[in-house]
Amino acid sequence: MKRSGLGRGLRMALAALVTTAGLGTGAAALAAPVPVVASFSILGDMVREVGGENVSVTTLVGPDGDAHTYEPTPANVRELARARLLVVNGIDFETWLPRLTQAAGFKGTTVVAADGVKVRRFAGEEGHDAHGHDHDDGHAQGAGHDHGDHDHDHDHDHDHDHDHDHDEAGGGHHHVMDPHAWQDLRNAVIYVRNIARALAAVDPANAQAYGKRADAYVARLEALDARARATFGAIDPARRKVVSSHDAFGYFGDAYGVTFIPVEGLSTQGEPSAAEVARIIAQVRREKVPALFVENISSPRLVEQIARETGAKVGGTLYSDALSRPGQPGATYLGMFEWNVEQLAAALRR
Amino acid sequence: MSAAAPLLTLENADFGWGGQAVVRGVSGAFRAGTMTAVVGPNGVGKSTLMKGLAGALAPLAGAVRRHDDGRARVAWLPQRADLDLAFPLDVHDLVAMGAWRRTGAWRGLGAAEQARIDAAMARTGIAALARRRLDTLSGGQLQRALFARLLVQDADLLLLDEPFAAVDTETVHQLCRLLGELNREGRTVIAVLHDREVVRAYFGDTLALARADGAGRVQAWAPTPAALDGEAP
Amino acid sequence: MSAWQALHAWLVDPFVQFGFMRRALAGAVALAAGAAPVGVFLVLRRMSLMGDAMSHAILPGVAAGYLLAGLSVPAMMAGGVFTGLAVALLSGLVTRLTPLREDASFAAFYLISLALGVTLVSLRGSSTDLMHVLFGTVLGMDDAALYMAAAVTTLTLGVLALIFRPLVYECFDPGFLRMQGRAGAWAHGAFLALVVLNLVGGFQVLGTLMVVGLMMLPAASARFWARSVGGQIALAMALAMVASAAGLLLSFHLDLPASPAIILAAGAVYLCSVAGGPRGGLWQGARRSRRRALAITGDMR
Repeated sequence: MKRSGLGRGLRMALAALVTTAGLGTGAAALAAPVPVVASFSILGDMVREVGGENVSVTTLVGPDGDAHTYEPTPANVRELARARLLVVNGIDFETWLPRLTQAAGFKGTTVVAADGVKVRRFAGEEGHDAHGHDHDDGHAQGAGHDHGDHDHDHDHDHDHDHDHDHDEAGGGHHHVMDPHAWQDLRNAVIYVRNIARALAAVDPANAQAYGKRADAYVARLEALDARARATFGAIDPARRKVVSSHDAFGYFGDAYGVTFIPVEGLSTQGEPSAAEVARIIAQVRREKVPALFVENISSPRLVEQIARETGAKVGGTLYSDALSRPGQPGATYLGMFEWNVEQLAAALRR
Repeated sequence: MSAAAPLLTLENADFGWGGQAVVRGVSGAFRAGTMTAVVGPNGVGKSTLMKGLAGALAPLAGAVRRHDDGRARVAWLPQRADLDLAFPLDVHDLVAMGAWRRTGAWRGLGAAEQARIDAAMARTGIAALARRRLDTLSGGQLQRALFARLLVQDADLLLLDEPFAAVDTETVHQLCRLLGELNREGRTVIAVLHDREVVRAYFGDTLALARADGAGRVQAWAPTPAALDGEAP
Repeated sequence: MSAWQALHAWLVDPFVQFGFMRRALAGAVALAAGAAPVGVFLVLRRMSLMGDAMSHAILPGVAAGYLLAGLSVPAMMAGGVFTGLAVALLSGLVTRLTPLREDASFAAFYLISLALGVTLVSLRGSSTDLMHVLFGTVLGMDDAALYMAAAVTTLTLGVLALIFRPLVYECFDPGFLRMQGRAGAWAHGAFLALVVLNLVGGFQVLGTLMVVGLMMLPAASARFWARSVGGQIALAMALAMVASAAGLLLSFHLDLPASPAIILAAGAVYLCSVAGGPRGGLWQGARRSRRRALAITGDMR
């Protein structure tokens, strides 16, 4: 009796062991993380949120890096060659990318995160089409356009070809479009959805997991968006002006009703002339701008000088084009955004 | 000639640059109060030897000894090519350089020094050129100015590297007479010269260098008549 | 508006109305007062290109200081001084011990330094940081930067006064002081240190690339107007200050970047001096040869 009990128990145990082992190896084979390359740190963070343990993310332009003037390294070429998915911002943000993808012989899928975003133009740029069209024509091109083909063709006709050149294949294009779409949380939602869709296409086995994580992330994004609107809504509109040394907050300003006055243009390289600085000071004095902010990738000296001369307050750092290193508040996208909102609100409230 | 004490003794000394000896095997003594001419063909190493005597070049082999416990002051008259004549100095400043040992970098030129400078310029016949820029001087005038500096330096050992290149004959004789006066004051003079007539006329001793076995060597070092007569043509 | 008022508006108002213009002028003037005399000696000693090479040589030190301590001026200055002197020493050694002459050995070292410096800055910072190191931020001079510039200039003028005589002698007749002790070598060393100090002190104001322009161009210009060493120094200082003011005004009225504008103004002064300066200028030379030609033909008649 005992022996047969033992024998049966043993057999069951063995069967369980074998099954588990079989399932285990099967699962292991299925669970190899998808290699993904993200062009810069903000996208990298988003991909990590949506992909979780199912993806292995490499970021090209790392924390505190400057994606406008990035020069790819040989290591980047290797990373890209191994990847199955490339996540880029688009809107001419990564002008150095086409050469890199070519050098790497990249055969995977590319997803443009800003696909479907309403692209903003810079104010005061000599337009190819200055009047009224600003918001209508600025759609990022990509697969899966929602409009009917009719409108699409129409837009193609009237449109200035430059509108459609501006994605990652741009290269050498004059910067009229503002690429910093992630500074508006509603756009971030679009980014996340695009990323989730792309991940699901490349790795259908885990599509459900991606979908779930994306939903959770979007919920957090939307909650923060609501909080930001409330915060800025509570501030006197006349005080909602800041001077920042980087022209990267156009979308932010449009979304939350804050006017950003730049010290240097979009390019982080130009040396300002005395005339520019004088104009900014005159404007700050005239419009009584309450606060100045300094970026994590531009020079703070100039901004401090303007603060000294105008009596405006120098706020803390704002994160614009890149996340910070781990351990600092701007290490994740949500963290960075929350930090920016808090800093701006605190400075403007005073 | 005289039994004066040796001032500079060389013991089988070699001199050269970057490890390569240009002048080899120099042995002998310069006695105090003598006037010695150093002669030889171009490139044989006369300047090199002079720099060795001045102490600016350490011997590659052998030894150079000074017999004065370092108390003798040495004055060096440079070749024209070693000077930057485009530099904005006037003649007075050049002559005033001679007072360096006494004034150093910071002390001003007092009345005593100024008097010495004026006297030196008068003695060399250039008192009228005091404010002339150096690049406006002729060869002879420049040499007079350098000699005036030498006077102000008031040294015991005078080393002159090609002092009469590009100088007119009149000036050469005047300056040689000046050297003779300085020599009679007890100073030792050693000079590189080309003109054999001048050597015979003013210099008691002669050191003749010639190329032998791939380097400059002393061919003769003796009172002038003997040294020059024995010189290879 | 009368002509006088218009002139006043153009030349003086920008400085009256804006603090940053006053500070920029103060910083540039302070730098000019120290750098111009050093530049005069560089020109007189035929060391002009060496001055330019030195400005590249200090870059890796500044970059290393930046890499280790961020935009900390003392760190960057210490680094710059260190590598500047190191390059000077190393190239001197190579010249002494190998057949390579001074110009080639110096060129080799400063090129290495420049590449090293660019690498270091790019490792940690963006090209913006590189731009700021190379071109300075004359429009953003804070109190610390102004004090630093003033301190460098005061030290420079003090040391120059001390080593003036041996420096002049050493320029003219290098062998003379060598026979009389080590004063010449000390003076030369102190002078090199001053060159490095002014380049490093000036990089905040004008950047490492441009500061050598403010050092050399007024000095080269002064040569065409003044006779004595003292005269050239005084004139070089004045010209450097005028160029600073002019450059800032150009930047203000014509919307040009500030530090290159200052150097361009200094360059314009130089070109005028070459063309029309009384001592060796081209126009003067042409007049003299014409007069000589006329005199000869006059004699022949």
